[in-house]
Amino acid sequence: MDILFLLLPLSVVLVFFILGALWWAIDRGQFEDIEAEGERILSDP
Amino acid sequence: MSSFSLASTALPAPPWPQSGVQDTSQAGQPTPLDDPREWDAFSRPRKDHPDQLESSVAVEGMHCAACSLTVEQALLGVPGVVAASVSASGQRAQVTWRPAQVLPSGWMQAVAMAGYRLVPLQDSGARARRQADTRQALWRWGVAGLGMMQVMMYAYPAYIAQPGEIPGELEQLLRWASWVISLPVLLFSCGPFFRQAWRDLLQRRVSMDLPVALGIAITFAISTVGTFEPLGPFGHEVYFDSLTMFVFFLLSGRWLELRLRDRTAGALEALISRLPDGVERQCADGSFERVAARRVVAGDVLRVHAGETFVADALVQNGHTQVDEALLTGESQAVHRGPGASVVAGSHNLSGTVLVQVLRAGQATRFAQIVSLMESAAASKPAAARLADALARPFLLAVLAAAALGAAWNWGQGPAHALMVAVAVLVVTCPCALSLAAPAALLASAGALARQGIWVRRLQALETLATVDTVVFDKTGTLTEEAMNVGAIHTRAGVTPQQALAMACALAKHSLHPVSRALCAAAPGEVQPAWHCAHVVELTGRGLRGIAHGNTQTAALRLGTATFCRVQRAPPTTGTCVHLSDRSGWLASFDIAERLRPQAAQAVEALRQDGVTVRLMSGDTPQAVAPVAAAAGIRDMQAQCSPDGKLALLRQLQAQGHRVAMVGDGLNDGPVLAGAEVSFAFGRSVPLAQAQADVVMPGGRLMDVAHTLRRARSAVAVVRQNLVWALVYNAACVPLAIVGWLPAWLAGLGMAGSSLLVVLNAARLATSLSTEGAATSLPLENP
Repeated sequence: MDILFLLLPLSVVLVFFILGALWWAIDRGQFEDIEAEGERILSDP
Repeated sequence: MSSFSLASTALPAPPWPQSGVQDTSQAGQPTPLDDPREWDAFSRPRKDHPDQLESSVAVEGMHCAACSLTVEQALLGVPGVVAASVSASGQRAQVTWRPAQVLPSGWMQAVAMAGYRLVPLQDSGARARRQADTRQALWRWGVAGLGMMQVMMYAYPAYIAQPGEIPGELEQLLRWASWVISLPVLLFSCGPFFRQAWRDLLQRRVSMDLPVALGIAITFAISTVGTFEPLGPFGHEVYFDSLTMFVFFLLSGRWLELRLRDRTAGALEALISRLPDGVERQCADGSFERVAARRVVAGDVLRVHAGETFVADALVQNGHTQVDEALLTGESQAVHRGPGASVVAGSHNLSGTVLVQVLRAGQATRFAQIVSLMESAAASKPAAARLADALARPFLLAVLAAAALGAAWNWGQGPAHALMVAVAVLVVTCPCALSLAAPAALLASAGALARQGIWVRRLQALETLATVDTVVFDKTGTLTEEAMNVGAIHTRAGVTPQQALAMACALAKHSLHPVSRALCAAAPGEVQPAWHCAHVVELTGRGLRGIAHGNTQTAALRLGTATFCRVQRAPPTTGTCVHLSDRSGWLASFDIAERLRPQAAQAVEALRQDGVTVRLMSGDTPQAVAPVAAAAGIRDMQAQCSPDGKLALLRQLQAQGHRVAMVGDGLNDGPVLAGAEVSFAFGRSVPLAQAQADVVMPGGRLMDVAHTLRRARSAVAVVRQNLVWALVYNAACVPLAIVGWLPAWLAGLGMAGSSLLVVLNAARLATSLSTEGAATSLPLENP
């Protein structure tokens, strides 16, 4: 189980990356209007 | 009438062929918006492309999600529009466009040709703030959620392993990893709790954030010590998973509450017409032009009609009127203002047309008033919430005492365990359910009503409305349609009906009374000789008088009731009759017929089924009132009530123990509306910022009164349910926590679950009753 000594810190770093991505998405306004994006697939081009 | 004028240089024509349709349905909208000085009210430059502007507009006429696509395509088809995104649920659109290529009227017209109407939203400041708040709340919630999930994964092995199964270093690493992940949760997500708790400590107050902050701090402290000193007193167990879980649950409750508030505020804002406020300003040559209220500067001379608001502090130069300063003084007494008197920005001109000179122009536009009214509506605390707040302080002190008791009780089982028991007590007893109960339910109801086109100005009014047992309707403009028809015209010898109508119209266009507007609507366009009036005085309940100037003649005219015009004529059998007289006596009589609103009988029946007595009070003659009452199904009616008489009758009813709601058009019923427990301002004749009414219904549907009453009753029922639940929950969980049977994470789950339950119970109100003829399109058609 020695690999866990690598994987655990790696997972912590990964979490920080995910948090960064979340921040980026929120800042770009991707969560402003969730319903409209879902309905967009129903539109004709 | 007044004409629009453009106070800027000539505009380039839009680069596509102008259609022949003149878009009169847009009520003269485009021109003022093409003025670049208007743009910063509803647009701002794009951050990375400063030559483009981003505008927020409300979209009217959308009734489904597919409509939003039509609007988007119409907008994107306009050369010069870079991007457009339309929100069907928010009934708004964001348009990015290049001023060098196209003007607002251009893309607004493109949408109009598609069948929808755009109205600029001048709320960019408030909306930007709300958007920033929402984003921050979402970020905090996201961090807490992600942290919770990760920390739980690291903590899970400790739950299922036998003692000694996990090697010491690995267990240490797991704890360290949990600690690292808890740091951003603490940093970002717990900020509001700590800040508020710190503020409370400084002010020696107790609020619900204090136990929460204390709980979080204690948990983090002992878990950190346990992580770095595994052999110390706190090293047996760490509680990062409990910490992140209850932060997440807490924030979930707050997130839902924020969404609810956001939706309510958004719906309320979308209801308000966002055209630049217009006011008539005198030009150098003496004529009047309509300009945006914000363009007014000190020294301008303005003409303010009855029913309009004074947009700036001004000195009356000409004319007499009654002014209502309730917005400022809180008193709904009409005060008289004549030449030389000063009027204050924000007060309403009630009766006559006056010429005023601006002393100070400022932020007192109708919009600013409405925003402040709206913010006060959202912030006003209903009685139940105030009660809950008063109870909160001793309750929270008891909570802190209970936490100490719990810690002491369990001290024998180790300090770590005892402290966690204290944390459990602190966390489980969050009284947010108590303070959330009333506002959540009332806000949800107000939001649902706002989507239906009913604007609740005071949340307290919903609570009071649930106790109302009598509803009094006004007749003219409320039960009957605002547009009245002019029937037969009788004139004296030598005067043609058209001339009489033109003279009456010269007086009537200075008044907002439905009869006056009916006369103006019936008047022929151009008639010789043309008449216009100055110095018009309107006397409530009696009529108008003024000096009319024609091409060759001058006449002192009186338009109104028979007694006011000093005319002896037999009143008609049904409907009203309005008389015109000059100095030499009777000139003409106009038969005015009114139509009952289509939903009148239905609304009265619905109210009666809810156990409410319906009455009718009107200043009109019995012959006019009786048929309306009969058609609507109202048995108790009172005719020929002066405004004082109405107030006296209202007081009489209240003395008998009835709780009365009054429905009127707001203009003439000011004191009565203020005197009733709940007041409804009805119809489109009233400028939206009428300070007296509790509920404003610009849509003009009588069934809305019955709907509002039903919603108010269900809201109060939900408030009671929520309060009962909060009390039961606290009574059950606190003893459990003190004894030590409630682990910290379960306490967090319980507390957040309780708050969530309260909010969701309230959110039920936002969707129920939606099948009762709710109109999802915006009700304002002609501002």
